[in-house]
Amino acid sequence: MTPSILVEGVAKRYATASGPVEALREVSLSVDPGEFCTLIGPSGCGKSTLLGMVGGLVPPDGGRVLVAGRPVSGPDPGRVASVFQDPGLFPWRTTLENVELGLELQGVPAARRRQVATDLLEPLGLRDFARKYPRELSGGMRQRVAIGRALAIDAPIVLMDEPFGALDEQTRLLMGEWLLDIWRRTRKTVLFVTHSLHEALALSTRVVVMTARPGRIKSVLGVDMPYPRAMDSAEMVALRAGLWAEIREESLRAMQ
Amino acid sequence: MRAGRIALLRLAILAAALAAWEAAARAASPLLYVPPSAVVPALGRLLTLESYPDLPASLALTVREIAVAYGLAIAAGLACGFALGLNRLLGRAFGPILAALYAVPAVVWYPSLMLFFGLDAASKIAFGFLLGFFPIALAVLAGIRQVSPQLVTVARAFGARPPTVFVKVMVPAMLFTLVGGLRTGLALTVVGVIVGEILGSKAGMGALINHAYGLFRTADYVALVLVTVALVVASDALASLVERRAGRWTES
Amino acid sequence: MSPGRPAVLGLQAVSVGALLGAWETAARAGWVDPLFVPAPSAVAAAFAGVGAPALAGLGDTLAKTALAYVLAVVGGVGLGLLIGSLRLLRDVLSPFVIALYGMPKILVLPWIVLLLGYGPTPAVVYGTIHGLFPILVLVIGGVRDVDRNLVTVARAFGATPWQLYWKVVLPAIVPTVIAGMRLGIVFCLLGVLVVEMFAGVRGMGHVLGALANGFRAPELFAATALVSAASIVIVLGLDAVNERLSRWRG
Repeated sequence: MTPSILVEGVAKRYATASGPVEALREVSLSVDPGEFCTLIGPSGCGKSTLLGMVGGLVPPDGGRVLVAGRPVSGPDPGRVASVFQDPGLFPWRTTLENVELGLELQGVPAARRRQVATDLLEPLGLRDFARKYPRELSGGMRQRVAIGRALAIDAPIVLMDEPFGALDEQTRLLMGEWLLDIWRRTRKTVLFVTHSLHEALALSTRVVVMTARPGRIKSVLGVDMPYPRAMDSAEMVALRAGLWAEIREESLRAMQ
Repeated sequence: MRAGRIALLRLAILAAALAAWEAAARAASPLLYVPPSAVVPALGRLLTLESYPDLPASLALTVREIAVAYGLAIAAGLACGFALGLNRLLGRAFGPILAALYAVPAVVWYPSLMLFFGLDAASKIAFGFLLGFFPIALAVLAGIRQVSPQLVTVARAFGARPPTVFVKVMVPAMLFTLVGGLRTGLALTVVGVIVGEILGSKAGMGALINHAYGLFRTADYVALVLVTVALVVASDALASLVERRAGRWTES
Repeated sequence: MSPGRPAVLGLQAVSVGALLGAWETAARAGWVDPLFVPAPSAVAAAFAGVGAPALAGLGDTLAKTALAYVLAVVGGVGLGLLIGSLRLLRDVLSPFVIALYGMPKILVLPWIVLLLGYGPTPAVVYGTIHGLFPILVLVIGGVRDVDRNLVTVARAFGATPWQLYWKVVLPAIVPTVIAGMRLGIVFCLLGVLVVEMFAGVRGMGHVLGALANGFRAPELFAATALVSAASIVIVLGLDAVNERLSRWRG
């Protein structure tokens, strides 16, 4: 089976005012179709950079990135859809128009894209907010619009860069449950970035721990428990403790 | 490296503009396009008081008009701004009137001012005052709106009385906006006085400019314009110095 | 706490009435010279006399202003988009643009008149120069400050460079463009009026100047009120358009 995402030995350096920064070093990763793969690690470990490479927004300095067996040379909404931490909604567009954005950019006829977007509003829980502007929506709703925008183009791979990072704890838990439900129904390949141990363990089929800068892959943890997961089971508590030990070490290094 | 390249490109553009100017002047009528090479000697004659011996007196008059107009604009602008900003009824009644008057191109008032105050300094001062007044008053209003009610509440919770709140909370919190308004006010006062002088006067830089232009002494005209530009730049530099001081103070 | 609408309207009416009343009294009692400060009643009466020539002058001025305004908006928005989108151009040209914006343009007016003569052309050219810079400065800033997140999103969803302009940059700067247009119209009108006063043979600026020189104060005040009212109406109209176009800003 061809992996959905194949990253081989990529590296990235940025030039900053205080000299060059090595964001990623020798990172390799393979994600199979239908997986929910989560990247977790200390701030600044290059998770977002890695996601940007898969999405074609950041060119790697070395190594290669394949999506569905083909090298990535730029953004390709036919294969990859992205959700960012800042929802990045267009303030002058209504909910419906924001969900339509990707289809519109690809030249899908108005009636067709309106249909797709309208059908998505129900599962997004935004049926009554179709004509609202982003400023009229709550933080959780805005992020659902951004996820809807990604789902609308129906790409087999969805990249999510801390989509719930700016939400409060309760909303975050509910959004996680909601996303899990959507993912299980659509069976897309998801590459997800988070800082939350809970989110990683509740959602993922596999958790990838990254090291402090320069980002490398420290360890990979398969989680093959059935959904919805009992987060307080003995097995899960042990997993969580192990994962925290790994991440704690890197976070301490990142703080120095 | 990048900064150096940008500076170089800017210099290149300036040089190209001057060269094009020189070429145009030589090809066309030098009466209309004064070449830079002719401006330099004209400026020399002006500064050595050969062409216009009354340059110092004119410059002094214009500066005096600006100073008086600006002083009046500050006094009236602050008074009016604080009155409308601190009293809700006054603010809601006269704020919109102030904003509507600001939408009128001020030059329409100038003929009336000339009729009333005559051709001498008074009409220039009045016009400079009028132009400088609005940005100052509106900046005070905007500044007062910017003061966080949170700060006022905290100060009052610690027992500060209204005068203390005004001095210790309001003024520092709005200082940056206020100083920005004062800077714009000065720039517009300067413009007002110069416009007034050019539209009709017997003395001052504008009168000299009109004289040179009226006699087709275009090289002298350009030299006079350069001296006036220097005055404008100097006044703005002064204002920006004050603004930076205020900025440093509010940040700390 | 907050004063009610009747109180506000009442205060406005009372103070305007008191001002006019005091003014009328002062003029009738001879405390001020009616040659320079005519009574409001005299100004009102003067509308009849000055109406036709003033309206003709106003029409002439507004026609020149309209042309200058179109040129200033097209030029300001076009150049602003160009300079704002290209980083190098923006870094190199910004100080020039700011300097030209800040310079009193009246200083080049004699030269423009010398070059273009006494007709509608210098008024249009000068009005355009006057209106162009505020629009240009605002649009350059607007393009520079377009939310980078939106650009990233659009790119991720496959936007072409052309689509980045049409779907992201242009809609994002609409409020800035409208703010510039609001400022620009006052500047254009100002520029045209100045030229008409300085060197006009027609137009409202010339009418005002001639009335002042003829010491016809009531007519002058009436004409001034007319052109002021016209510009207030125009600006309020643009505000209304702005309101309708930017519901999304809340």
